[in-house]
Amino acid sequence: MRTARRISQIVFFLLFVFLFLITRYPYDHGIVTEIGLRFSPLAPVFLFIKDGHLHLILWPAFLILLLTPLFGRFFCGWMCPLGTLLDITDKIIKPPDNRKTGKFEKLRAFKFALLVGLLLLALFSVHLWGYFDPLSIFNRALAILFYPVFTLFAETALLTLSNIPLIEGPAYWLYDYYKIVFMPENQAHYQQVLWIFLFVGLILAAEKLSRRFWCRYLCPAGALLGFLSQFRLFGRVVHSSCPACGICHTECKMGAIPADDIWHTNKVECIQCFSCASTCPEKFKSISYEWTWKPYHSGVDYSRRRFLQTGAASVAALGLLGIGAKNKQAINTQIRPPGSLPEEDFRDRCIRCMECVRVCASNGACLQPSGIQNTLDDLWLPVADMRLGYCEYECNLCTQVCPTEAILPLSLAQKQKTPIGLAHFVKDLCIPYARNEECLVCEEHCPTPEKAIQFEIRPYTDPATGKTRMVKYPYVIKDLCIGCGICVYKCPLQGQAGIVVTIENQQRPRHLS
Amino acid sequence: MRRRQFLKRFSVGTAALGMFPLLNWQKSARANPFPHAVWVQGGEPAELLEAALKAYGGLERFVQKGDVVVVKPNIGWDRPPQLAADTNPDLVAAIVKACKQAGAKEVKVFDRTCNNARRCYRNSKIQQMAKQAGARVEHIRRNKFKTIPIDGVEIKEWPIYDEYLKADKVINVPIAKHHGISRVTLGLKNLMGVMGGNRGAIHNHFAEKLTDIDRKILPTLTIIDAYRILTANGPAGGNPADVQLTKTLIMSDCTVTADYLALELFGLKLDEVEHIRRAYQKGLAKYTPEHLNVRKIIL
Repeated sequence: MRTARRISQIVFFLLFVFLFLITRYPYDHGIVTEIGLRFSPLAPVFLFIKDGHLHLILWPAFLILLLTPLFGRFFCGWMCPLGTLLDITDKIIKPPDNRKTGKFEKLRAFKFALLVGLLLLALFSVHLWGYFDPLSIFNRALAILFYPVFTLFAETALLTLSNIPLIEGPAYWLYDYYKIVFMPENQAHYQQVLWIFLFVGLILAAEKLSRRFWCRYLCPAGALLGFLSQFRLFGRVVHSSCPACGICHTECKMGAIPADDIWHTNKVECIQCFSCASTCPEKFKSISYEWTWKPYHSGVDYSRRRFLQTGAASVAALGLLGIGAKNKQAINTQIRPPGSLPEEDFRDRCIRCMECVRVCASNGACLQPSGIQNTLDDLWLPVADMRLGYCEYECNLCTQVCPTEAILPLSLAQKQKTPIGLAHFVKDLCIPYARNEECLVCEEHCPTPEKAIQFEIRPYTDPATGKTRMVKYPYVIKDLCIGCGICVYKCPLQGQAGIVVTIENQQRPRHLS
Repeated sequence: MRRRQFLKRFSVGTAALGMFPLLNWQKSARANPFPHAVWVQGGEPAELLEAALKAYGGLERFVQKGDVVVVKPNIGWDRPPQLAADTNPDLVAAIVKACKQAGAKEVKVFDRTCNNARRCYRNSKIQQMAKQAGARVEHIRRNKFKTIPIDGVEIKEWPIYDEYLKADKVINVPIAKHHGISRVTLGLKNLMGVMGGNRGAIHNHFAEKLTDIDRKILPTLTIIDAYRILTANGPAGGNPADVQLTKTLIMSDCTVTADYLALELFGLKLDEVEHIRRAYQKGLAKYTPEHLNVRKIIL
C-alpha cells in the first residue's frame, strides 16, 4: 500500500511539474494547465464566500471534498505536490522522529486558527487565503525559484560545453534539444525572489523540527480536510497481535498515532500514507487498512477559547488593514494583466500562484510578483514592469491561465482593444524634448495598426551653433494607446525611460462579454 | 609638307584618343559584363529570384563551393507574412535553396528580433520555410557578439554578431518598408539585425551612426524583397490596408545602390532620405547613382 502511495505521489508531482512546464508560448496543446491549481480544497469554500455560488470550474476540488469524509486526508498523502516536496526534503534533511516532537503538539491548533482566521477575514471581504494555499505555494516556488535556478545552471552549463572545441558538435545538439523540448523561452528574471525564497525556504526548513511540519501545524487546506475527516470510513486498524512497541507512533509522518493509545489513529491528522504497516516489525505485522462501518470519532483540536482568540486576532487584522491610507502615487504604475477584474475583485480572487507571471515570462516578460507598494495585500500580485518587459501585442496567454478567473479569458481581438494603461512622455527625459534631437524608437515599435505614437516635425534652432534642424517630436494618441509598454521597454535611455505607462484609461472588465 | 604631316599625325592621334573610350569600355565589359543591379517584377518570389540571378550571372558568381553563407532576412516583428513586416518566407527559402545549389557547405539564417524571438521566427513562417529549404535556423545567443572597431564619425566600436563576421559570404535580404524615423527601411537598415548593444541609441543621429557601422559590415549581396511592401505605419505595420502587392525584387552587390533603386517604390527622392545620402557621401557605395547600369525585367 505504501508503494502505491509513493507512486501516486510521484505521478501527481510530475503531473504538476509537467503542467507548469507547458504553461508557456505557444500554448497550442489545448490542455488547461491551470487545472492543477483547481484541486485546492480551499478554493470552492473561499470563492463561495466571495460570490455566493458554487464554481463548476473547480470540479477537481469538489471531488476531493466529497471523497475526504470517506477516505480522510488522502489528498495530503497521495496528491499534494507540496507534501511530496516535503517528503523529498525529509530524505535530505532527516527530521527527528515523533519521540522528540511532543513539544509541538500544542501547535496543532494553529492550522485551524489560521483557517478560521482566513474565513473570518473573507467574510469581511479580505481574501488572503491564496498566500497559504499549498498548491499556490508549490506553483509559486516552481515559477520563481526552482525553475529559473534550474534553467540558469542548465543553459549555462550546456552553452559552456558547446564552446569547447572538442565536443562542440554533440554539445551543440544537446543544447538545441534542451532548448526545443525543455526551455524554449529565455531565462526568466524575477522580483521578490528573496521574500518568496524565505517563505518557501522556511516551510521546507521547518522539516528540521518535525516531519511534515507545514502539514501538521500550519496548512489551512489540511485543516479543512482534517475537519472533514473526523469520521472517515477507511483507515488503520490495529489487531490484537500488537504488543504496543510504539514504532508506528515514532515513525508516523503526521504524528497521528498517540503514544498512549496506539490502537487508535487521529483521523484529523492521518494522511493515509500507509507507512505504519510497513514500519510495523515483521514478527508482529499488526496493522492493516480496512473499511470500518462503525467508525470512531477523532476530535478537532480547536477549542472555543481558541476560536475567540482567533476572532480577536482577525478583528485586529481587519482593523489595521482597513485604516491604512491609499497611496495614489504608488498605484499610479500598478499595471495589471489585460482582462483583470476591477482591482478589489482582482485582489480577492488572485491566489498569487504565478501562472500568469510564468506564461508571460515566455513572451513579453513584463509580469512580475509585486512587492508591497501600498498595502500588505499588494504582495505577490501580478504587476507589469515595462522596463523589464512589455505586453506582446499578439499574445493573450495570461488571460487563459488564471485558475480562479481573477483574469478573465479574452480572445486576442478583445485583448488588443483592452487598454491596460496609457503611455505618457516624460518630457524632461525624452530625447526629442529634452535635447531637441531625433530618436523615435518608441514610435518605431508601437504595435497598433494605426500607431498610437505619432510625431510632429518642427524646426529647432540650436542656440549654440545657430543652425536650424528639423526635429520629430512624438506624442501619444490616447484613443489608440493600449498601454502595452513596448515604448517604455525599448526607450534607449539607460535608466529611467522618457516615456511611462500609468493606470490612466485602463479598462477592467467586470465579466465576460 | 609639314602641314600634311601634321594633319596625318593629328588625325591618327585623335583617332587613337578616340579609341580610348572604346578600349575602356571593352576593359570594363571584360571586368564587369553584368549590370550593377537587377530589377525584376511581375512574378512569385521564387520566379523573381530565378530571373534576377540569371540576369546577374548566377549565384555562383558570389557563392563558391564549400562556403558558409549567412542569409540575413528581416525576422524582426511578430507578424504573419501578409502584413509585410518581415521578409517573405518563400523568398528566404528560395535563396537558401539557391545557395545550396551553388555549393554552399552551410546556410545559416538568423536575426536579432524586436519582438520576442520565438514569436517572430514562428509567426513570420521564416523558421519553418528556411528549415525546410535546408538552412540552419538559429536564435541569437547573447554571448556571441564580438566588439569590432568602427572608427567612424560618431561610433568608435560596436558589437556585431560573430556568426555574421565569421561567414564566408553574406546575403542581406530586407523587406522594403516605410519607417517613421528613417523614411524607409531597406538594405542598409536591415543590417541592424546583426548589431548588438543598445540599438536604440543608434536612432539618435541615425544617419551618421548607421553609416558608420554599416561601412564595416557590408554584405556580399543585397536582395530587396518588394513582393509586398509596407507603405505606412512601418516598420511594425499591422494594418492590411498599408500593404501593397508590388511583386518586385531588387538585387545588387552594392547595398546602397539597391536601396537607392527601391526609393522609387515609395515615391521618394534621394535628398529626402538622409541615411542613404550619407552612405553615398561616406563611400559605402560601389557605383555612383548617375552612372547606374540597371537591368529591368518584367515577367
